Amino acid sequence: MAWTWFHRLASPPHVYRVAGRLTPWLAWPAGALIVAGLIGGLILAPPDYQQGEGYRILYVHAPTAWMSLMVYTTMAVAAAIGLIWRMKVAHAAAAACAPIGASFTFAALVTGSLWGAPMWGTYWQWDPRLTSELILLFLYLGYMGLRSAFDDVQRADRVSAVLAIVGVINVPIIHYSVIWWNSLHQAPSVMTLGKPTMPPSMLVPLLMMLLGFTLLFGALLLVRLRGEVLSRERTATWIREALAP
Amino acid sequence: MSAFFDMGGYAAYVWPAYAVTFAVIVLNIVWARQLLRRARKEALHRLAIGGLDK
Repeated sequence: MAWTWFHRLASPPHVYRVAGRLTPWLAWPAGALIVAGLIGGLILAPPDYQQGEGYRILYVHAPTAWMSLMVYTTMAVAAAIGLIWRMKVAHAAAAACAPIGASFTFAALVTGSLWGAPMWGTYWQWDPRLTSELILLFLYLGYMGLRSAFDDVQRADRVSAVLAIVGVINVPIIHYSVIWWNSLHQAPSVMTLGKPTMPPSMLVPLLMMLLGFTLLFGALLLVRLRGEVLSRERTATWIREALAP
Repeated sequence: MSAFFDMGGYAAYVWPAYAVTFAVIVLNIVWARQLLRRARKEALHRLAIGGLDK
């Protein structure tokens, strides 16, 4: 009885239907939060006492960097579930994560570089945080490249899952790199224990952006998941049902 | 208004950062919809040529 939801979760037609119904409920709040966060971050928040208006890159850098780690973790967990329970839908979810994660990791690197240029005096430095984030981009690209090397989707699922799981070790390394090593990158100012180091006028738009990007990831994942599930399906009845006008 | 676009002299860094981020968002929306549309078309094609399980 308690496990029925788990089996329903694994059933492709059910996933296809529910994902379709759920998407707008994530997409519209995501859009609203991002627009509100933009207004708050670009217009309402006061300038920083050290970095002036330049710190406003924070409102795109922190959410894209957060996405790069959160999407990878999701991908690795989905890949592990797929591998352990031989669940096709979980493999499909892992495959759906990779391009989203790769593109936001790219954005995190570019926005960070554009922030570093005026503040540190350099676009790039082989610093622990920057280097481990670049490795994350290569992990995503390696995962996608590995998948495309197989014609058989199920083999691609299994082999790429191993890479996704092994690569997850990089996630805590990125997160703690600014604490473990003497990094050029500043320490986190939101997720520190106790009080955040920002006034609410700066913090609220940032939290809106972080939540908005997270919901956006959910919506993108659901759309991609439907495509991935559909392309793995070999059963005529439900395809006919799912695609009935 | 021009002070807003000037970003306290950081315009050359702030605006490209926002542009890249929003380009990535738009591309992700386009890519995801493309993937689903293509999967639908291919599934319909598989149905049409037969050979699927019942």
